[in-house]
Amino acid sequence: MNIELKDIVKSFGSLEAVSHVSLDIKDGELFTLLGPPGCGKTTILRLIGGFHEANSGRILFDGKPVMGKPPYERNIGMVFQNYALWPHMTNAENVAYGLKIKKVPRNEIVERVNHALGKVNLEGLGDRYPGQLSGGQQQRVALARALVLNPGVLLLDEPLSNLDAKIRLQVRAEIRKLQKDLGITTVYVTHDQEEALTLSDRIAVLNHGELQQVGTPWELYERPANPFVADFIGINNLIPGEIRETEDNGKRAKVATKFGVLLGACDSRLKIGDKCTVCVRPETAAIGERKNGASENMIPGAISFASFIGNTMRYDIDIGENTILRVDIQNPRNHSPHDIGDKVNVVFSTATTLAIPS
Amino acid sequence: MSFENGEATLSGGATRLWSRRNFGGLAGYAGIWLFLAIFLIYPLIRLFYDAFTDDANAFTLMNFSDFFTDTYYLKATINSLLLGVATVITTSLIGIPFAFLLLRYEFPGRGLFSYLSIIPMIMPPLVGVMGFVFIMGRAGTVNVILMDYLGFAKPVNFMYGIHGVLIVETLHLFPLMTLSIVDAMGKISPSLDEAAESVGSRGLRKFWDITFPLTTPGYVAGALLVFIWTFADFATPLVVGIDDLLASQAYLNIVQFVDRRLFKMGIVISAIMILLAIVFLIVAKRYVAQKDYSSLSYSVIERRTLSTAGNIGVVVFLSSVLIAAFIPYFGIILDSFGKGWALTPFPVKYTMQYFERVSIETPKFILNSLLYSGISVAICIVFGVPIAWVMARTKLPGRDTLDSLTTLILALPGTGIGIAYLRAFRDPFPFTETALIGMWLVIPIVLGIRRLPYTVRGTFASLLIVHKSFEEAAESVGAKKTVTFKDVTLPLIWKGVLVGSLYSFILALQEASATLLLVVPGHEMMPVGIFNFYMGGSVNEAAALGLILIVLGAVCLFAINKITGAKAGGVFG
Repeated sequence: MNIELKDIVKSFGSLEAVSHVSLDIKDGELFTLLGPPGCGKTTILRLIGGFHEANSGRILFDGKPVMGKPPYERNIGMVFQNYALWPHMTNAENVAYGLKIKKVPRNEIVERVNHALGKVNLEGLGDRYPGQLSGGQQQRVALARALVLNPGVLLLDEPLSNLDAKIRLQVRAEIRKLQKDLGITTVYVTHDQEEALTLSDRIAVLNHGELQQVGTPWELYERPANPFVADFIGINNLIPGEIRETEDNGKRAKVATKFGVLLGACDSRLKIGDKCTVCVRPETAAIGERKNGASENMIPGAISFASFIGNTMRYDIDIGENTILRVDIQNPRNHSPHDIGDKVNVVFSTATTLAIPS
Repeated sequence: MSFENGEATLSGGATRLWSRRNFGGLAGYAGIWLFLAIFLIYPLIRLFYDAFTDDANAFTLMNFSDFFTDTYYLKATINSLLLGVATVITTSLIGIPFAFLLLRYEFPGRGLFSYLSIIPMIMPPLVGVMGFVFIMGRAGTVNVILMDYLGFAKPVNFMYGIHGVLIVETLHLFPLMTLSIVDAMGKISPSLDEAAESVGSRGLRKFWDITFPLTTPGYVAGALLVFIWTFADFATPLVVGIDDLLASQAYLNIVQFVDRRLFKMGIVISAIMILLAIVFLIVAKRYVAQKDYSSLSYSVIERRTLSTAGNIGVVVFLSSVLIAAFIPYFGIILDSFGKGWALTPFPVKYTMQYFERVSIETPKFILNSLLYSGISVAICIVFGVPIAWVMARTKLPGRDTLDSLTTLILALPGTGIGIAYLRAFRDPFPFTETALIGMWLVIPIVLGIRRLPYTVRGTFASLLIVHKSFEEAAESVGAKKTVTFKDVTLPLIWKGVLVGSLYSFILALQEASATLLLVVPGHEMMPVGIFNFYMGGSVNEAAALGLILIVLGAVCLFAINKITGAKAGGVFG
C-alpha cells in the first residue's frame, strides 16, 4: 500500500508536534521515521494509524483519503512500544482476537494464528500468557498479532527500545527478513540512527516536528542536507565556514574556516560567499602528517581525551576556538596510542570532506 | 485491595536500622502488635468463643444448629446476601459507566461531574435514608404532590421495603465503585486499548473484551467493599422498617435485655457475618492477586469528544444520577430548617430552633464526635504510620500478617466488631468496678481500629512512591537516618498520611454501627443522636444534626481535594 502525507500539521495545545510534513511512502518499502525524542516521529506514526487526527493536511492510502477514519477502518497493523499485549489473554488469544472481531470462521482462526506464530518462531507458546514470555518473545507476539490480519501497512513504534542490546540485533534482523518476505509496506519509528541505517529502504529525519531530509541510508550518510542531519546520522565533526571559491562546476569548494582553508565536496545549493558547515566523519580522519602529494586537509591540535572501544580507538582533539574534533582509529591493533596533551595533526581526505548549508 | 503490587523495596538499610536501634524499634513494633492483639484479635476470638460455647462454657454447635434450623434467620441470611449482591449490581450499573465516561470522554461539565460524583459518599447512609424519606416517603414531598395535585389516590411506596434500602445504598455507594474503577483504569496503559482498536475492536465490544477485564482487580475490590458495607448496615433498613436482615437481627437481639437466648443468637449472627466477610475477602484477594495488570505507567489518554447527541445523553445520564443522589440533601436541608412540615410539599415556616437545640442546648453530640474522632485519628496515625512503614520498608516477620489484618479490618462488619467488643470488654478491670465497656474511651478505640486501614493505605501508597533510592541518596551525601526521614521521606509522604487520616476522620464521624452498639450514656456521638432522635420521633432534630454531620464531612472532603487534586482511589482500593 502506498501512503501519502500532504502538509500535515498536528498540535497538542500550543505545542506544534508535527509541522507541515509531507511524505510519500512507497508500496512495499520499509520507511523509517528517525529523530530525537519529541521530534514528532511517533505522532506521525499515530496519525497514519488513526490514533490522532491531524489539525490540517491530508493522508492518502493508495490515493484514497483516510482522514477521520478510526484505526479499525484503515487496515493497519500496529506494534506498540510497550507491545500492549493484553495480559488477560493467552498469546494465541491475543493474536486471534482481531480475527474473532472480523468473524473469521473458527477453524480458519486456529490455522492463521498458528501460521502467524510460526512466522515469528513462536510455535508452541500460544497457550502461555504474555507475562510468561521474555521481552523479545513478547515483541514477536505483538508482531504476529499485527500481521495475522494481513494489514496494508505495518506500523512499528520503537519496537526494539525495550529489548537489551544483544536481542535487539537479532529481532532487528528478523523484522527486516519478515518484512522483505511479506513485502508489506512498513513505517518504522526509532531514535537510533544505526538501527535506521541498517533496516530502512528510506529514512525521514525529523526535528522539532519539521522534516529535515528524506533519503536512502546512503544518501543521508553521504549527502546530509543540513548540520542537524549530519550530526544525528553520526558525523560528529562540524566546522563552520564560508565558501571561498568553487571548482568543477560547483561540485568542489574551498572553504575558509577559523582553522584555515579546507577543501572538499560541495552541496550543489552553495554559492561563493555562503555560510556553510564542513562535515568530517571521525572514521575517515587520521592522526599524523599530510602525505606528499595526497589531497588532504590538516588541522593541528592537542589530544584532550582518548578512549578504547575495542574495535576503535577514539580521540578527542582540541583544535582551539572551543572546538573538538573526533578521530576514530579503526582496527587499532598496530596503532601506538597517544597520550592526553600530545600535540598532533588531524588529517582527512578532501574526498570525504563535505560542505553543506548551515 | 492489596498491597502486593507495590512489593516493598526490600531494604538492607531498614533492616540495619532495626538492629542498630534494636531496643526502641522492637519495643515499638511489639507495641503495635500488642495493640492489635488486644483490640482486634482478642475481641474476635472472644466472639467466636462465645458463639461456640453454651452457658456453662462447654463447647457446642447448638447455637449454630439453632440458627440454621430457624427459617426466619435463614430468610434473613438470604435477604442480606441478596441485598448485598443487588447493591453490587446497581452500583456497578451506575459506577462503571460513570468512571468510564469521566476518564475517557470530554463533555461539558466533566470536571464538575468528577467533583460532584464523590459527594454522595460524605452522606452517611443513616442520614441519607432520612433525607429520602422526607422527600420520597409516605408523606414526603413527592407523594404530597402526586396526591394533591396529580390525583393519586394512594401514596407511592418508594422507600418502605427492601427496595428502599437498595436505592439508598446504591446512591450512597456508587462513588466507591467509580473511585475503584477510575483508580484501576488509570493504571492501565492506554496502548492496550489502542491495540484493540487497531485490530478492529471498538465500542462496547472493546469495553467487554479488553477494558473491563483489565480493571477487574479494581472492580472486585470496590465490589467487595460495597457488598460488605451494605451487608453490615442495620441502621438504614431499620429506618425504612426492614428488620429481616442479618445485621438488623444482630443489632435487635443484642440491644434487648430480656431473652438470653436471643442475645446468644445476636452473637452467633455476628460470628456468621464476620465469617462470611472473611470468606468473601479471601476469595476476592485470591482473585485480585492472580490478576494484577497495573503497569504503573499512568500515561495520559487523549479524551474522546462526543457528538452533540452523545454529549446530551452523557450529561442527562450523569445529571439524573447525581440529582437522585442529592435528593436526601434537599430532604435533610428542608427538614432541618422547616417547621410544621406535614401534608405540604415543602415546609410552611423556617426556623433555626432545631439547630439551636442540637448545638447550643445539647452540644454534647457535636463535641463528642469531634473529640472521639480526633482521638481515633491520633490512634490511626500513631499505629498506622509505623505499620505502613514496616510494610513498605522492612522484611520484619509479621509484615504480611499486618497487611492481612489491615485488609481484614476493612471487611469486618461494624456490627460484628461492636458486638465482639461488648463481649470482650464487659468485665471490670482487676481490683476495680469499671469495665472498658461503659467508659467513653472504648469509642475512640473502636473507631481507631475500624479506621486504621485508611491511614495505613494512604501512608503506604506514599511510601511506595518515595523510592528507597531517594533515602539512600540522602544517606550517601551524609544525612543520618533521622535527618533523612525528616528532610526527604516526610516532605514526600505527609500528604498521603494527611489524606488517609482525613478519610479516617470523616468515616469515624459517620460510623453508625459499632458506636450504636457501644453507646455510653452521656457520651453519644452524632450518628447515635441522629438515630435516637429519629427513632424517638424528633425528626427535625435528627435532620439538623444530620446536616451538621454532612457539612463536617464536606469540609474534610474539600480539604482532601485541595491536597490531592481529587485523586483518592488508592485509599479504598
